Formats: sequence, structure tokens, C-alpha cells
Amino acid sequence: MISFNRVTKIYQKDWVGLKDITFQIKQGEFIFVCGPTGAGKSTLLKLIYKDEDPTEGIIKVLDWNLGTLRKNNIPQLRRKIGVIFQDFKLLQDRTLEENVAFALEVTDIPPRDLRKKLMETLTYLRLSHKRFSYPFQLSGGEQQKVAIARALVRDPYILLADEPTGNLDAKSSQEIMNTLFDINYKGTTVLMATHDLKLVKKMKKRMIYLEEGKLTTHN
Amino acid sequence: MSLQISIREGIKTITRNGSLFFLSLLVVSISLFLLSLFGLVTINLYYSLRILDEKIEIIAFLDEPADITTLKSNILKIHGVRDVIYVSSDQALKELQRELKETEEVLSIFEENPLPASLRIKLDADYRNAQGLEDISGKIMLLRGVKETIYGGELVDQLKKITKAITAFDIGLLLIIVFSVIFVIFQTIKLTIFARSREIEIMKLVGASASFIAVPFAFEGFVQGFVGGLIAFVLTIITYQIAVVYFFGELYFHFWWFFFGDIACGIIFGIIGSGVAVQRFLK
Repeated sequence: MISFNRVTKIYQKDWVGLKDITFQIKQGEFIFVCGPTGAGKSTLLKLIYKDEDPTEGIIKVLDWNLGTLRKNNIPQLRRKIGVIFQDFKLLQDRTLEENVAFALEVTDIPPRDLRKKLMETLTYLRLSHKRFSYPFQLSGGEQQKVAIARALVRDPYILLADEPTGNLDAKSSQEIMNTLFDINYKGTTVLMATHDLKLVKKMKKRMIYLEEGKLTTHN
Repeated sequence: MSLQISIREGIKTITRNGSLFFLSLLVVSISLFLLSLFGLVTINLYYSLRILDEKIEIIAFLDEPADITTLKSNILKIHGVRDVIYVSSDQALKELQRELKETEEVLSIFEENPLPASLRIKLDADYRNAQGLEDISGKIMLLRGVKETIYGGELVDQLKKITKAITAFDIGLLLIIVFSVIFVIFQTIKLTIFARSREIEIMKLVGASASFIAVPFAFEGFVQGFVGGLIAFVLTIITYQIAVVYFFGELYFHFWWFFFGDIACGIIFGIIGSGVAVQRFLK
């Protein structure tokens, strides 16, 4: 489903983002991407949804070789990948419902199907009662659930989570983790970047550990 | 993406970012108004200079009696002469009386009409200069019945130089204004789009195509340009009316030229400005 073959990412002024990374991820896996701040976790996720291009190496995601993927096909790739962030990246001037519907509107889904899919997703995440609230009216945990809803609403094959619990309290973090596990249980491949090793050890999932852009542990 | 969704998204974008939209609209309107106003000045300057140029003529005073018909046809045969108008001594007096309305008593000292009959000779544009006037005047003087000719001579060339300088200055100023207006409009639109860079970033993240992102912004640019152009046009009309009533009495103004000109400039600048600004985010 995802494969990195000797991937290196070097930013401006020779700053190494990732160095010679090779790994494969199968469909339905749950992977933690760990490492200290600046280790290259976010870079790795950005390479998967082609927000960045590698300096060297081959990346394959789903059926695409990202090196040869044309620019106008990038939206097709991103429609199959959901991404959530530590800072949620919600549009503050839109309601919860509008934030989630937004992800469906970019595709040419008929309005009736859009409505149905939207309600299904909001109900699954127990957000439907707050669908007319604006992000600033929601708690951090609820905002992250909205971000998850936006990522999930199109039934992605892959869910990328970049420090999704970084801004949340213990209770909300646990709730988000449970949601991510449930999503994974239903078949979606999940990659979660985190620096919380305690959490990773507790969950007993596969882990990719990065340090200064290099893959040091892979189990 | 269908045009319907694009327009709906565009309208949503405008309503969601109302204050930003109106601020930008204000700048676009004022910029287009300045452009329109300078267009009005330029057109009137151009027309005034053209009228002034057309007034360059030769006046041939005639002997008494003279064969007017033959003289007219002979002058018309001269290369560079466009038209010949006969002014009898009575007509000349009436014209003078009209011009000296407030000092009529000056003429009362004459018992008889002192003004001779004359021919006003209009020239083709290429001959409205010192050399052309001198050449044609020389040929007219050779004709029987012509007593004397008068024309501007060197003054005409000086007038031409001044006219050229004014025109060049005006065109230079117009270009500066056009570029300034385009710059201001583009920068304003760019700032409003930059203020929504997060929205564009999220659109890209959820897999919005380039056209899905760009078309609503282009629509917003279109609306801004259209409304801005309309406001500029209304402001131009008001300024024109004030100028006519309080200052000039008469000015050249072509309603539809200005109407379509303002709106077309607004729409073109609006759409291109939005397109250029949003393009930065789509790279």
C-alpha cells in the first residue's frame, strides 16, 4: 500500500529531512512514526500525500508511483488519503458540518449522497448534535474529531495523523486514540506520527523510529 | 466542477469574508475611478487640441469687386486645401460685433463698414504647419482678386510643439496611472487571497482540484471588478456633471464608452489579479 525505497529528502541549505529511508506498509496496518521533534516525522507524512517531493528515492502509494504522478492527478491521490494535524486545520468561519462537507464538495458527489455520507460520518463520531457549532465553540478533542470526520467522510484508504493528540488532555487523547483504532479496525491503514513513546509502547503496534532523518528502529 | 458550484462557492466566499471583500472593492473602485477620470481628462484634452488644430487656417482678404466663384474654385484646386468659406464684409462685421459685444461703441466711430470681404481657407492636416501655410498662402497671393493673406506662421509651429509636449506628457502620465492602478488592484486582490491562504491549503489537502480552488476566487475577482467598475462609472458621471455645471460648461463624454470601459477594465483586472494571486498557491 505504501512503500519507501531509499528515500532521501534534503531541504534548502543542505538541511536533511530524511536520509535513505526504506520500508513497506501493508493495507490495514496501524503504524506509529516516532522520534524526537525535528526527526522527520512530518516530512515522512508530507511525502506520502505529496505535499513534498523526495530529493532521491521512490515512493509508491496505493497504485501510484509518486515520482511520476502528474500534478493534475495529485487531487485524486489526496482524495484517497485523509490527513489530520495537531492544530486541526479547521476553517474557523464555517460550521462543523460545513468543515466536513467541504471535503466532499471538492469531489463531484451528488448533493443527496453528500448529505447521507455527512450524517453517517457525524453520527459515527458522535458529532451530529453539534453540527451547527463553529470550531471556536468546540473543545480541542471535539475539534480533532471534526478533523477526523473531514478525513473520514470520503472513506480514505489511508489516514495520516500528525501528532493528533499533541494539543489534547489525557481524556481527549484517549478518545481520539480509540477512534483511530476503530477506524483502523474497519480496514483503513493508519500512520500516526507522535513523540509520545509511552503511548506507543502501551499500544503494541508496529513502529518506525526516526532520528535526525534516519530510520533507526523499525519493528 | 460545474460552474454552478463554482459560483455558489464564490458567493459563499464573498459573504464569509464580507469586510475583506468590501475593503478590496473600495480600493478597486477608487483605482478604477482615478483611471476613468484621467481617461475623461485625456479625451477632452485630445478633443480640445484637435479643435485647436482645425482652427489653423488662412484668411485671404479680397479686392473689390472680386469673382468669388472663380476664386473659390481656383483655391480649391491648390494641393492641401480642404475647404473654402466666403465671408462677406457684412458677415465679417456681424461676427466682429458679436465678438465685441461689450465694447460695441468701438465700432460706432466708423461711418461705413471698414471690413473687407474674405475667404477662410481650411487646410488638410498635413499642411497645418508654418511651411504648409506659407506655401499655400504664396500660391493664393498669385490669384487675381486676392489683396492680402494672413495666417499664424511661426506661431503655428510653436503651438504644434506645445500640443505635442502636452500630448506626450498626458500619455506618459496615463501610462503611469494605468500601471499604478493595475499594481494597486493586483496587490489588493493578492492580499485578500493571502489572508485566506489557510483555506486554500485545506482545500488542497482534501483533494480540491486547481480549478475548484481557482474558479471561486476568479468569480470573486469578476464580481469585485464588475461592481468596482460600476461604482467608478457612477463616480465619473457625478464628477463630469459637477465639472460641466460649475467649471467648463461643456465637456466631451461618451456614456457607453465609459460604461463599458470601466466595467471591462474592472472585470479584466479582477479576474487576472485573482488568477495570478491564487496561482502562487497552486504551484
